[in-house]
Amino acid sequence: MLDETLVSEVLGQARRGGASFAELYVERWRRRAVRLLSGEVKEATSGIEYGAGLRLFYGTEVVYGYTNDLSPEGLLEVSETLVRLKGQAGQVDQAGRGGLDFRKAVAQGLHAPVVPLSARDKRYRLERLLEAEAGARVGPEIVQVQTQLLEWEQEVLVANSEGAWCEDRRVRTRLYVTAIAQGEGGLQTGVAGPGLSVGLELFDRYPPAEVGRKAGLQALTNLRAKPAPAGPMPVVIGNGFGGVIFHEALGHLLETTSVARKTSVLADRLGEKVAADCVTYIDDGTIPHGWGSSEFDDEGRPTERTVLIENGVLKSYMVDRWGSLLTGYRPTGSGRRQDYTFAPTSRMRNTFIAPGNTPKEKLFEGVEFGLYAADLGGGQVLPGSGEYNFAVKEGYIIRHGRVEEPVRGAMLVGKGPESIKRIVAVSDDLEMGPGMCGSLSGSLPVEVGQPHLLISEIVVGGQA
Amino acid sequence: MTFEEAKDYLLRKARELGLELEVLAAKNRELAVQAREGRIEEITQANQGGVGVRAVVAGKTGYAYTEELTPEALDWVLQEARENALLQSEAGGFLPVGGALGRHDLLGEGLSAPLEQKRQKALDLEAGLRVDPRVKQVQMTRYAEHETQAILGSTGGVSGAFRNGYALLLTNAVMGEGQSLKQGYEFELAKEFHALEPGRTAQAFLQNTGRLLGARPLKTGRYRAYFEPKAFAQLLGTMGWFLLSAKNVLEGKSLLAGKIGQKVASEIFTLVDDPTLPGGLASRPFDAEGTPSKRTVLIERGVLRTFAHNAETARKMGAENTGHAARSYKGVLGVAPTNLFVEPGQGVRPDRGVVITDLMGLHAGANPISGEFSLQALGLWVEGGEVAYPVENFTVAGNFLELLSRITALGTELEWNPMMGIVGSPMVEVAELSFAGA
Repeated sequence: MLDETLVSEVLGQARRGGASFAELYVERWRRRAVRLLSGEVKEATSGIEYGAGLRLFYGTEVVYGYTNDLSPEGLLEVSETLVRLKGQAGQVDQAGRGGLDFRKAVAQGLHAPVVPLSARDKRYRLERLLEAEAGARVGPEIVQVQTQLLEWEQEVLVANSEGAWCEDRRVRTRLYVTAIAQGEGGLQTGVAGPGLSVGLELFDRYPPAEVGRKAGLQALTNLRAKPAPAGPMPVVIGNGFGGVIFHEALGHLLETTSVARKTSVLADRLGEKVAADCVTYIDDGTIPHGWGSSEFDDEGRPTERTVLIENGVLKSYMVDRWGSLLTGYRPTGSGRRQDYTFAPTSRMRNTFIAPGNTPKEKLFEGVEFGLYAADLGGGQVLPGSGEYNFAVKEGYIIRHGRVEEPVRGAMLVGKGPESIKRIVAVSDDLEMGPGMCGSLSGSLPVEVGQPHLLISEIVVGGQA
Repeated sequence: MTFEEAKDYLLRKARELGLELEVLAAKNRELAVQAREGRIEEITQANQGGVGVRAVVAGKTGYAYTEELTPEALDWVLQEARENALLQSEAGGFLPVGGALGRHDLLGEGLSAPLEQKRQKALDLEAGLRVDPRVKQVQMTRYAEHETQAILGSTGGVSGAFRNGYALLLTNAVMGEGQSLKQGYEFELAKEFHALEPGRTAQAFLQNTGRLLGARPLKTGRYRAYFEPKAFAQLLGTMGWFLLSAKNVLEGKSLLAGKIGQKVASEIFTLVDDPTLPGGLASRPFDAEGTPSKRTVLIERGVLRTFAHNAETARKMGAENTGHAARSYKGVLGVAPTNLFVEPGQGVRPDRGVVITDLMGLHAGANPISGEFSLQALGLWVEGGEVAYPVENFTVAGNFLELLSRITALGTELEWNPMMGIVGSPMVEVAELSFAGA
């Protein structure tokens, strides 16, 4: 996207104030979004986002600047500003003199679309959304259906003063359906939202009518559901997006963002037993076409498969460049950012609990009274105390080992390290689900996943 | 090309193409200084912005935006916006006719100060925390300032611009005592750099997070709830506003649909949105369609008076436009609050129940369409009119409209919170809510 000589000059100039490291991140996004409500296009929008971020390290101190002006003058001005911010303009260091000889790494297209976004017109997309809507209308109680399609194309260049040069191209597509049902239970919702690093073959992987049907049935279930019970009880958490419990209760506590500052309750505990034997937890940025996959991270390092916890023992953290400098841990290709307006930090990619060997049916057997959280919404965590929460989108009562009537409106809360130790059995039906994760470096696509599993006790925040 | 030049280019081309077009450009400046362990850990400085258009073709509306200000990119924007408009089947979109709205400066020199003083604010805030041995780790202390220039123009004659901004002190840290650990945050916003006092922010953090140490489980039950202003503001900024948006009413997503003139809340509850509030953090001279700002009473003594409208929703519902049009350059036309606040009352005297100091998980645990919420809360148990002990690991659940009708008392002082929009609330007492804990 940018000329090598210019990049070399910007990085060189940026280091004249004595910076130990300089990195330039350049990106161009093309995004499209369309939203339909009851079969009518409410909004369609298209956009170009284009900018660069320059990051300088003075030891572990970071200076970051960004701009939309990618002309030589614009970029050199950012570099001047950053040197001045550090108060070292005029100081001439040997660092950065002379051009850089870049080692080029270009993405192989491991997650490249099979059906490019340009292969079909806008009408084609509308037809697929209308199929999703028709699929969602599973009964007369469905009064409103909203369908959305998001398409993101991102070109990235990362170059740094160590001579790294990497170019990546990331294409992501997501379909999102919200169904609203009306009846004696008031207005209730059901949602389904598959997303992958793919082009329009998303519609082959997830036929729109089926996606719509899933949202519609969930809305109907919630309409006949009673308010969820309140208090501590055993909970079976469903597979797929159910993995959000680990994302909150465990994942965020293993990012160097909190580990390096010792604000995670799991800092300095490598090699220790932190979970039950049946728990193996993996963060994998290489899953082909995963929603959170990319060939390189946003610091230009190849992504990898990182085993975080193996049979309950803490094996690794998720480490970015800054975190590595502070802790000495090896970087794991986990440096990510929403866009050029954020400096990268260590973040999750596709994170999941590995399959266990308990058959799914066995999980329910010993439960006299509990909750089956079949589908979950988002959550949140405070890494310093480990307190987390996440919302149940579709839940059922478990009575005498059987899944019975639906309940709605439950939030599950607990302290991560305690809950993790209460996982007593893991099934073998691993699935993944896409979500957006918000943290210091912005909002990012991630996958969470797990097989069905049983937690012996967790607080269920219902009303009944 | 500058933002002004880009706006003029787009409007000129649109007139040539016979396209109705509204252009909104935003030019942002950011400075942030982050301190940790007595040193500056990170400094960020940036200039950033973009230009977004709303195009109307025969009553059909389409959107496009760009951050790249070249003729090629701007031409692409016009073409995409036109194509996106033609996808619509419904007609009824239009651009309001307007005039010159002037150029306004709502910020002045408020953020002017040498960089060194700004660095010092972040360092002083951290030092203010470290004096307390219960502060175990500081995740970050931050001074930040944001400045925005919004430029609006349309082929319908609307033309105006304003500049606004604020400075912010923010900290996020962990306190501990015995086995008990609590992570908390505190912030202070002002339009004047010199109005920020790191010592005061640090004291507020130590007070607000320190009082939660040694928390005990809360027994599951139904109790009287006392929402502190910060907690109630978050609930109001998400669920309350969603229900009051005329756009959501038109889309069949609001439980308040059809209830204008009816009692929807306790009669001591009055809710106002005022973009003309002097010094208000969200004050502005006109909205995103160029409608001049005015004060709106949304709920008056429990009675729903109006929804929040833009020109399009007002025309569709045959209602008066309240001037709540909102659009970012990347976004689409919606309605958004400005300085939204609950009028203070006669005072709250907690007797027995739970003081809710903060809420978590609003993005997932509050469903504004059903009106139901179940949220992780932090708080204090009150018995015999005294705070007995802090409580943890519990949720508070209910229906937002039922909560509004069960408000039994309001505090006398308004506190502003910037987390979910700019929302002001006093302390709010609610007769009874469900709590799930031990």
